[in-house]
Amino acid sequence: MVSQGIPEETGYIIFLFAATLALVITLRLVISPRDPRPTPGKKAPFESGQIATGPGRTRFIIQYYPYILMFVVYDVIAMFLFAWALDLRALGAAGTVPILTFMVVALVPLAYALHLAGQRENW
Amino acid sequence: MSDPVSQILQLVTSTYFLEIVVFPGLISIAILGAFFTWFERKLTARVQLRIGPSYSSPVGGILQGFADIIKLLFKELIIPEGADRFFFIMSPVTALIIGAALLGLIPFAPGVQIANVEVGLPAFLAIVTLSPTLVLLAGWSANSKFPFIGGLRALFQQTAYEIPLWLSALGVVMITGTLNLTGIVQFQQNNGWLILPQALGAVLFIVTSTAEMERLPFDLPEAESEIMMGWQAEYPGPLFMLVQGPAFIKLYAFAALFSTLYLGGYLGPAIIPPIVWFFLKTIVIIVAVMLFRSTFPRVRLDQLLRQGWTTLLTLSIVNIVIAYFIVVGLPAI
Repeated sequence: MVSQGIPEETGYIIFLFAATLALVITLRLVISPRDPRPTPGKKAPFESGQIATGPGRTRFIIQYYPYILMFVVYDVIAMFLFAWALDLRALGAAGTVPILTFMVVALVPLAYALHLAGQRENW
Repeated sequence: MSDPVSQILQLVTSTYFLEIVVFPGLISIAILGAFFTWFERKLTARVQLRIGPSYSSPVGGILQGFADIIKLLFKELIIPEGADRFFFIMSPVTALIIGAALLGLIPFAPGVQIANVEVGLPAFLAIVTLSPTLVLLAGWSANSKFPFIGGLRALFQQTAYEIPLWLSALGVVMITGTLNLTGIVQFQQNNGWLILPQALGAVLFIVTSTAEMERLPFDLPEAESEIMMGWQAEYPGPLFMLVQGPAFIKLYAFAALFSTLYLGGYLGPAIIPPIVWFFLKTIVIIVAVMLFRSTFPRVRLDQLLRQGWTTLLTLSIVNIVIAYFIVVGLPAI
């Protein structure tokens, strides 16, 4: 339900703006209580009650890296299917062969990539 | 009507402003978020034969969520040493805006919708895709080990569920032929609810959206018994509220999206108004997702990645094939 003269998209932006404004007011309320003399332990990173050692940003977990590589490619490929799905009623069976070719071309390398990703010794 | 004062007055008094500020918008989101925190604690307590929160009001502690908000809001803001202050504060705030943006796209009743966007379904899924990035940013900026591990887990977990989530929604798009959420509901008004032809898609959608919400079978980034709430570990009281808030807003938004896509949204016999139908369906889904939390143990990251890329992906392709034959019809043999 839109009142006269306000386009839908503008209204949505106003909505996001209002959400941000509400948050800023909340944050302003929040930042009030302060500790004048904090102890050193108060600001130290949490390490289960021990004194924190070493850098906080440690090494990455590398063993799942192939999945990220696959994700970068196949997330985009999954988007292409939406264009076909939206027009499926108009296309009917005529769009079957191209999309089937597309799926086979996409999924066979995926199966091989999954096979490689399962072999830990490669990484 | 051209001067700005009367234009602003017209805007403030419009039903549109009321929608943004009061009902599907901000105030109702805040109240329902607080209500769902209480509801989850009470439900989990019932499952575990406990009583749950009971002090903060005469009726079963129903004001507990609001009491928690007031308590957390007036705590001191402690930012850990060496943390990146900007990203540390920015990521939960952005997550809350994202949560509110999701609910702006849902049709709650005929005409009660903040933005009837033509590409509502992909817009919803695209906005929600940002949240693991924010989790990673929050975990990295805290300069602490547990948050960093949690953030990385969110990144890896996203690769497992993101594609099955989009592909399970693809089945709905194939059958309805529209990306508009109101259009999807109107299609179901004429052709019946999509839960029957898309049963497999509905199951996949709820599993992958549970992973997207980081709720219990898939709550690896914030596993409290392994990595101490993960990426949320370093957040002080007020920011912790901003971290927990989006979790419940996302639960509400995903339950609303599920009932829109598969359960006919606001449709139902005219005895009850449409908005009540919508909330009945949404609350059923919310209860189901909350019961997952009390029922299933947490999966391991490598299990989730492997199953996401094999089982979930295969099943979502099977679902696409089912949707294809529903639309095009079985070939005459």
